[in-house]
This record gives sequence, structure tokens and C-alpha cells, in this order.
Amino acid sequence: MTPFILLELQPVFVWLYNLLKKIGLSGSWLTIVSYAGLSLIVFGLLSVVALFLVWWERKVSGHVQQRYGPMRNGWHGWYQTLMDGVKLLLKEDVKVVTRDKAVFFWAPIIAFVAAFVPYVVIPFGKGLIVADLNIGILYILAVTTFMVISLLMAGWGSHNKYALLGGMRSAAQVVSYEVPMVASILTVIVFSGSLSMVDIVNVQSGLFFNWFIFRLPFGPIAFMVYITAATAEANRTPFDIPEAEQELVAGYNVEYSGMKFAMFFLAEFINMFTVGAIATTLFLGGWHGVILPSWLWFFVKTLLVVFLLMLFRWTYPRLRVDQLMGFAWKFLIPVAFANLVLAGWMKYARWYW
Amino acid sequence: MGVLKDLKELMRGLGIAGKHLGRHAVTIQYPEERWTVPERSRGVVVLLSDKETGELNCTACMLCMRACPTAAIFIDAPRDENKRKHLKEFRVEHSICCYCGLCEEACNFSAIKLATKYEFSTFKKEDTLWDMNKLQEVGRDVPYVDTRKKKPVKKPVEPKPTPPSVEATKDAKTQPDAPAIDKEKPDTKNDVDSPAAPPEAEEKRDNDKNEGKG
Repeated sequence: MTPFILLELQPVFVWLYNLLKKIGLSGSWLTIVSYAGLSLIVFGLLSVVALFLVWWERKVSGHVQQRYGPMRNGWHGWYQTLMDGVKLLLKEDVKVVTRDKAVFFWAPIIAFVAAFVPYVVIPFGKGLIVADLNIGILYILAVTTFMVISLLMAGWGSHNKYALLGGMRSAAQVVSYEVPMVASILTVIVFSGSLSMVDIVNVQSGLFFNWFIFRLPFGPIAFMVYITAATAEANRTPFDIPEAEQELVAGYNVEYSGMKFAMFFLAEFINMFTVGAIATTLFLGGWHGVILPSWLWFFVKTLLVVFLLMLFRWTYPRLRVDQLMGFAWKFLIPVAFANLVLAGWMKYARWYW
Repeated sequence: MGVLKDLKELMRGLGIAGKHLGRHAVTIQYPEERWTVPERSRGVVVLLSDKETGELNCTACMLCMRACPTAAIFIDAPRDENKRKHLKEFRVEHSICCYCGLCEEACNFSAIKLATKYEFSTFKKEDTLWDMNKLQEVGRDVPYVDTRKKKPVKKPVEPKPTPPSVEATKDAKTQPDAPAIDKEKPDTKNDVDSPAAPPEAEEKRDNDKNEGKG
């Protein structure tokens, strides 16, 4: 049986394939189980990353405010998140009587799945990609939109005005900020000439001045527009009006408790990592770097972007709803499109290197 | 270019956040490390003992009991056949006490003080009522400045109102730890056998205090 998606996570896949072959699997089962194992490996890796990010966020938050953050569990509280997860697993799953049962149940699951799905096409390193789709970045843009649906579902299913308001705000915000984000991504695609993530990274090979962020003048502008829009997409401060604590208690996830809440929470942090991963792939040269192995470069760059998002949270105050919309439609979108036109013109005139 | 200016300000904000990130946390990890509170902070109420004899300074004058706004202090001091009061029982109910320090202000004999100790929570309500022994034991190692007058001597002697000499003042100021027991306020017409010193003990209490944290 030929794999219907060409697998590119070669070293890991080959190792897994041979291992299963030794055990005695054969034929189509071998391929299917290998895929499943590979998915599990990526899933496990991302779960660990999400747990780490929760801990890191708390540490950064603490230290910006000159606190310590979690300190009790292990060295500087390194397994605090694990303990929180255990607590959330053991907690009662409180359900509102007036909820919309099916919608309430599926919302966290869709959020969780939508957070993991983009990692099919994200290159973790040289050759370390699950599937090199030729429409990679388009695929990511398409599947990350499921997050909005899940937030809207959570808001609607909860039968709670705060949750509903949060979900509605989230939908409005994400739909608005999708436009400048896509425009800034298009700027990159104009120059890479391909939607495939691997091709985009390969175009930026070489030293750091080949990265798209250093392609003057449109590179930095596109990067800044992307980071701003992506912060809004990930519902993070200063664009966190879907869960503005002072206005909406907790936003769309008010009525969720226990493991369902944890799924929303983890999905949020994985989204953050996705933002970092896309920024790395599109603007920061992906896995390219010197001396260190490629996957390490990828993680270092991604975590730096995530760290930037964390600093945003403790630097900038939250925007009002109308300011948020005004910022997206009156400023970001014109800038992004002007930048796109500039990039296209430069590409046409071959004023680039 | 308003946009560039705004961008610069945004970057400045990030810089400030980053600067604070690099600073050391001010949190105290409580059970492992403890904060030495300033010396004048008001913690647990204790009874002070004389440094030489080890007896309580309290004369059972009841001033603190009257000064107490929440009636947390109970003093039992029956008179003996010479009509002298003897301190029999002194209780402080720490769950009622509002830690205002009025008893300390009212006391003329350096007998009661709000010490800097702050760890006296218990599991039982009864344990918040401290009797005389406990108050004395906890107050044993509490540093204090003795502002007592010389204890009245039985035999009356002629008062010698000598003016305070400059040397004596200097001495008292340079030695903050000198026992103030020999000092005497000049305006009090008591039986004294020592030259009177100016009433700077009160100032000293404020001055030689603490470089505590915070």
C-alpha cells in the first residue's frame, strides 16, 4: 500500500517502521500503525511543550512582577503543571443543567484537535515534518480557523451570557485579524513562490540575512503585522477581549471545569506555540542555523517568539472592543496590503536579492 | 511619523518589562526564609522582665488594662496587708487584641511591649489566651529600653535636684545600651540617691531603632 500522504519525518518514521517490521507487522497494517505511532510521538512532544509553556508563562509572569512564580514542586516548580493537570483530572466535571449538551461536549474537543492539527505541516527540523503538503501554509490557515468555531460553540453551549459574549467577541476578533495575517503571510509567499513549508524554509537557507524578516523593507513590516495579528488570533493580551477577566469573568470557558477546562487551556498554549512555529518558519529561517542541530534551532527560535508574546502580556494594556476592531480594519489591514503591493512590485521589478 | 513614534514607545515598554524580568524577586519563601520585621512593628504582646533580677517589671498599676480598647488584658492584683498590690495574674487574650500598642504607650514601667514576634498562631482557640508565665517566657529575650524610674526605696532621702550635666548627657547618648535604670526625670520629685539625668530615654527609644527591612 502506498502512503496517500508522503511522510517526511524520515528518521523517526524509518526507525518506527523497522521496529514494527521486526515485531512482525506486515502489509497495510505496518503502514497504518507506523502513521499512528508517528502521530502519537508528535502529540506527546506537543503535550510536553504545552506543559512546559504553562510553567514558563507562570515563571515569566512572576519574574516580570518580581515574584518567583511556582516554586514548590521540584526545582523552581518544574512539575507544577503536571500536578495541576492531575488536580484537574480529579476534579468534578460540573455541567450546567441548561447547557446545549452536544455543543457543550464537543467544544473543548474541537479546540484541542484544532490546536494539534497544524503540526502536520510544521517542519521541526531538517526532514522532520509529518507531511510536506504543497499547500502547507494554506492548510494551516484553514484548520486554525476551527478554533473560532470551538470558542463560539463553548460560548453558545454554556448558556451563560458572559461565555456567549466571549465567544462572539472571539469570532469577531479572529475573523478581523485573519485578514492582515493572511496578507502578511502572502508577502512571504510572493517571494518563496511556494505554499509548502519546506520550500519556504529552503528559500531562507544560508545565514540570517536570508531570513524573510531581514528582507528590507517589507520583511520587518510583514513580521510585525504577523505577530500583532497572531497575538490576536491566539487570544492573548493585549487582544484578549474574549476572556477579559474584568469584563467577562473568564470568557467562553466560564462554565467549564475539570479536564474540559484543561483542554481549552492546553489548546491555548499550543496555539501560542503554533504562532511561534509559523513565525519561525516564515520569517526566521525555520530550522536554519549554524553549529547546533536543526531541530534545536527551530525550538530556540520558536520559544523566543513565544517569550516575546509573554512579554507582550505584561507590557501592554488590553484594548477596548471598538479600538481592537478599529486597529485591525483601519491600521493593520491597510499596512499589510500596502506592504503586499510593495513586495509584489519589488518581485516584479526584481529589486531584491 | 506618528506610527514610528508609537512603535518606539511600544519597544520602550517591552524594554521596561524585560528590565523587571532581570531583577531579583522580592518574595520571601516563607517557611524556608523569614523576614526580620522592623523592631517597632507590633506583634505578639509580651511582659518584660528585669534584666538583672529576671522578675517582671509590672507593678500592677492597671494602666494598660484601662488603656486597652478591646479589653484584651486582664490583671488580677490583690492588695496585701500593707495595701501594696501584688501581681497575681496577668492574661492577654490574643484573639481579642487589636495590636494597637496603646498598652505599651500607657505603661510607665517598661513592663508590657508588643514584640516583633509574629508566629503565634495555634490550632486551638484556648491557646490564644496567654497567662502570665507564658507572657513572661516569650518576653524573656525581647530587647527593650528600660525607662523605669528607680524603684521607690523604703527609706526616704533628701531630694537632690542637681541640674543635668553636659557630660552625663553625652554619656547617655553615646551609650545606647547603657542601662537606663539609674536615670531619673528631673521633674519627678521622688526619693533618689543618684544624680538625675534628662529624660532622653524616651527619645532614645525612637532613635536607636532599627534598620529593618521594608
